[in-house]
Amino acid sequence: MPSPILEARSLTKRYPGVLALDGVAFSLFEREVHALCGENGAGKSTLIKVLGGVLGHDTYEGELRLGGSPVAFRTIRDAEAAGIAVIHQELALVDEMSIAENVFLGNEPSRFGIIDHDRMIDRAREVLARVRLDVDPGRRVRELGMGQKQLVEIARALAKNARILILDEPTSALSDREVETLLGIIRELRSGGVSCVYISHKLDEVFSLADRITVLRDGQTVFSVARADTDEASIVEHMVGRRVDELFPPATGGSGEVLLGVEKLCAPPLLVDISFELRRGEVLGIGGLMGAGRSELLMHLFGCFGERLSGEVRFRGAAYDTRRPPRNVARGLVLVTEDRKRYGLNLDASVGFNLSLSALPALSRFGFVDSDRELEQNRAMVGSLSVKAASLDVRVGTLSGGNQQKVVLGRALMTEPQVVMLDEPTRGIDIGAKSEIYALIRELTARGLGVILVSSELPELLGLADRILMLSEGHMGGMFQAAAATQADLLRSAMAKRAVATENDAHG
Amino acid sequence: MDKRINYRDFSMLIALVLIAAYFYSQDAHFLSARNLAQLGIELSATAVLGLGMLIVILPGHIDLSVGSGVGLIGAVAAVLVVGHEWSALPALGVSTLLSVLLYTAMGFIIIKERVPAFIITLGGLLVFKGVHWLVIASETVPVAPGGSENAYSRLTTYYLSNAAGYGLGALCIAGIGFFVWRGHQRRTARSLASDGELLFLRWFLSAQVILLFVLVMNQYKGVPLAAVLLGVVALAVHVLLQQTRLGRYLYAIGGNEEAAVVAGVPVERVVIGAFALMGLIVALAGFLQTAFGGATTTTTGQLMELDAIAACVIGGTSLKGGRGTVVGVLFGALIMAMLLNGMTLLAVTPEQKFIARGLVLALAVWMDVRLSQSRGA
Repeated sequence: MPSPILEARSLTKRYPGVLALDGVAFSLFEREVHALCGENGAGKSTLIKVLGGVLGHDTYEGELRLGGSPVAFRTIRDAEAAGIAVIHQELALVDEMSIAENVFLGNEPSRFGIIDHDRMIDRAREVLARVRLDVDPGRRVRELGMGQKQLVEIARALAKNARILILDEPTSALSDREVETLLGIIRELRSGGVSCVYISHKLDEVFSLADRITVLRDGQTVFSVARADTDEASIVEHMVGRRVDELFPPATGGSGEVLLGVEKLCAPPLLVDISFELRRGEVLGIGGLMGAGRSELLMHLFGCFGERLSGEVRFRGAAYDTRRPPRNVARGLVLVTEDRKRYGLNLDASVGFNLSLSALPALSRFGFVDSDRELEQNRAMVGSLSVKAASLDVRVGTLSGGNQQKVVLGRALMTEPQVVMLDEPTRGIDIGAKSEIYALIRELTARGLGVILVSSELPELLGLADRILMLSEGHMGGMFQAAAATQADLLRSAMAKRAVATENDAHG
Repeated sequence: MDKRINYRDFSMLIALVLIAAYFYSQDAHFLSARNLAQLGIELSATAVLGLGMLIVILPGHIDLSVGSGVGLIGAVAAVLVVGHEWSALPALGVSTLLSVLLYTAMGFIIIKERVPAFIITLGGLLVFKGVHWLVIASETVPVAPGGSENAYSRLTTYYLSNAAGYGLGALCIAGIGFFVWRGHQRRTARSLASDGELLFLRWFLSAQVILLFVLVMNQYKGVPLAAVLLGVVALAVHVLLQQTRLGRYLYAIGGNEEAAVVAGVPVERVVIGAFALMGLIVALAGFLQTAFGGATTTTTGQLMELDAIAACVIGGTSLKGGRGTVVGVLFGALIMAMLLNGMTLLAVTPEQKFIARGLVLALAVWMDVRLSQSRGA
């Protein structure tokens, strides 16, 4: 067996109060895609930070070897110089700059300090060809889709002659087709001599791509195996440390009072002629392709997207003004947004601050916050959602993704709402936290709340929702009873409007 | 947010002591009761304005107009008193109302019309300055007619009698003790953690500081009214930020405005409210500053917006919003005021004063950035 090109030996990293890595061993061979699996908080991010030089060599214990000899990275630049490039989940592209400028950012081809634009464009074309991105390198990154941006990031790594790519959840924001393209390119790069560490929660991707799989749990390497010698169930088992039999708890079915009634709602620029009802105890799933208007529908109902042109929105029978988020919260309508970092949390503030923010009107008298009662309720919420945080005073930005998501959920639930709108509540979080959130949704409906669940994952919609509304380019593509629908039905209706449109075009 | 005395406040305390020690070594008068009383009065207008600036900066805005606002509002009151022979209190009241209206209107434009605060208040800086000069016809208008005293002029010339000073000090100490004790009782009753020893120690320390302050001030003429007003404003803003919903919302908006909207924070009302409070504070700072000079002139209030912003920034307030405390701003204002006072005592030229203050501001922020980086890693 050849020796690994990158090897980590007994890595241990302590944060105050947390042992993030506990003697982790990891190796990567040449021309290998090595998948790294684990729940949020298992230590994947910390391991990547060590490998990519984000954490300097003096901040952790253990040894890093590159091509057989020990290395010590002080900074990201050191790691990059050694041929290791990390592509983070949150892309680090400058939207307003051109693709070529992004590819060579910090690394511009220049003579005497003057950037050689022609050479930059030429060389950008070369690397873009390696990731099969056929666009003009002079275009602004802003104009690209998520999948293309991801490829620009990889091109940037290649432009720095990276031999080892570390991809952190590269597909979490991509459509299925974009995922296929990306996986194909990674395979090509592999045959071209590039090795990859691939981190993903999506096991189907892991199994279609990886040569080996390593599972981290609680900062330790619990399982490391060649792909051919394992299966998904066994990986999941090692990730959570127990068997996950029933991911989706059985549905209870909604009945009774109509909590939310939407009739012929039109709200430019996107939503056209949408009608549905949400009853007590019901989960209404909303699906559709990217840009179908799912998030926009939720944001409109909550009061922060679009002007209503026509149609009616009623909350428990009474029409309401959809432009007043604070009143809607007071009424019992809460929104948990998809992008936790941008729309969800005040990352610099504490867990407690974030948790109680929406519930402050109930927690205060004459404008003064009752901080004792606040503390009690925060504690109760952290307990009931089992948020893993050292205390209520730690910065919420230091928590793992799944725990951050629980804080956002907790903030919404603390207002004792009637209708909870969840936008991709399980995106980018691990299977353990996912099943907890599924159970929580069931608990909410059992208590008589109505839940609207937007999801890109059709199995999630079919498993959790009572009824499913499919959107297609802002129109209603179809409404299904979840029990009777199949993934194919849903997909067909998600593309319904497009099909009609193309037919019309053909006739016209 | 953090209830403990943190590392940052501590480093500011050290800076303060060093500056005081330096000036004292150059001129022993610096720590005389007389000069300290003077310093307290000088400090009051800047610090009050800095606290207002904090309220506006926390939700991520800024107000460049306050220096001109101070000049204008102080002048309106002075002209009402001297030119129109109003008595002082109604004049102060009407000017305060005017100030609140002006600043509420600016807040309204900033929020509803989505014009950046930087631009609107820069416009305010110029307009208010022009109106100020019109109001006083570019002449000097005293705060009280012909060398007499009124409620306006007494703002910076009135001192509490020794007995009243001790009484007020005792009242403060007792009040703080009562609230600390009650909070402790309540938390213990609900079996929430509460460190009684630490609370007592903090109360004891505050009591010492208050007592020392009154003692020193009483060696001169007594506790200056201006310093009492500053204390009241500081306490009010502190309670506002730490104990009220509005305060939480100010931090939430500055920390992540989009998230605050989704969380149901009434962003528009809160920001307009912040500017309205700024109006109230500009009025008070205007009266203090004008009374301190004894009269309003074309330069009253000039560059005070920069001192107020500097006090915030030195005190650890983030200009992006979401971070900053009353204690920090008080320290920041005190550092700036002490520098100015000390340099005046040492007869430093105005040119050098400007340069020194600018350098201190830059140095303080640079050190803050360095310190927070080394702690973050």
